[in-house]
Amino acid sequence: MKEINLQQDEYPDEIGSIARMLDVEMTALERMKITRHNLTRVSFAVIFYIITMLIFSTQL
Amino acid sequence: MELILYVVLFAFIFEMMDSSAGMGFGTGLTPLLFLIGYDPLQVVPILLISEAVTGVTSGIFHNEFQNVKFSIKRPVNKETMIMLLIAGIGCLAIFFSVILAYYSLKFPDDLIKAYVGILVLFMGIIGLIRLKQKGRDTYKPKLLTGFAALAGFNKGIGAGGYGPVVMMGQLFSGVYEKTATAIVSLAEGFVCIVGVTSFLLISSYGVTIDYVLLPSIFTGGFLAAIISPYIVRVLSNNIWKLVIPIYAISMGILTLSKVFLI
Repeated sequence: MKEINLQQDEYPDEIGSIARMLDVEMTALERMKITRHNLTRVSFAVIFYIITMLIFSTQL
Repeated sequence: MELILYVVLFAFIFEMMDSSAGMGFGTGLTPLLFLIGYDPLQVVPILLISEAVTGVTSGIFHNEFQNVKFSIKRPVNKETMIMLLIAGIGCLAIFFSVILAYYSLKFPDDLIKAYVGILVLFMGIIGLIRLKQKGRDTYKPKLLTGFAALAGFNKGIGAGGYGPVVMMGQLFSGVYEKTATAIVSLAEGFVCIVGVTSFLLISSYGVTIDYVLLPSIFTGGFLAAIISPYIVRVLSNNIWKLVIPIYAISMGILTLSKVFLI
């Protein structure tokens, strides 16, 4: 995935400049690609979900 | 603990829309669960607990998929400032509404619900009309503060509609649609943390919370909070420009129908 690392001061008056640049510079297909970093975050979320459900199953 | 499949599905659908269009989890899911037969103490605190977790999760994943860039380090960027403003006003409002409820001070329910329904409907229609406008608005911080205060006031008097008003308010103030969604999601997460804390304080005064729906709503909502920011990233902003006001109009109609039909 192409990472867009804009400096906020390049677009001083615009909120959401990074999301806008992704829309302008990438196609929907390019935006679909996920990085290893994305997958790592999703893995952390899955682990959090499993731990939470284990707590629910013992406490509720 | 049991997972109720249709509740998981409903929570998933409404959280998908909440994390994509910035509104609807409380407004949409609450009346549906009431209609199924659950009572307020089974629904309201559980939605708050679930939205506290899913709001923050959704905010993290919106940041991960670059729909927004929140900054923790100083100086915080504009997106983070807007999120803190909306969350701050929302936290004060929900705390105020809990105090009102505790002292049994209540405004005429139908009247304030009708007011919020008309307001959200009107904002959705304006949002659709604005689609004809060429180019983008410049960021108007004062207008945004006004909308945040209006949404906070509505929530404070117990009228709801916080998500739709801050969401549409951001769009009218020149915030990019995808980023506005991300900001509302994280802000609502923080507001719900205060809401949960308030409810737990109340429960220590003898109100018992029924947690039967928690695993199901949490499961559907949590899954949606991860997937939805990805879908927001992939789909073009032009789609969200159309989806958000149409969804706001449907939320306005839903709120009004609760007043006049139920």
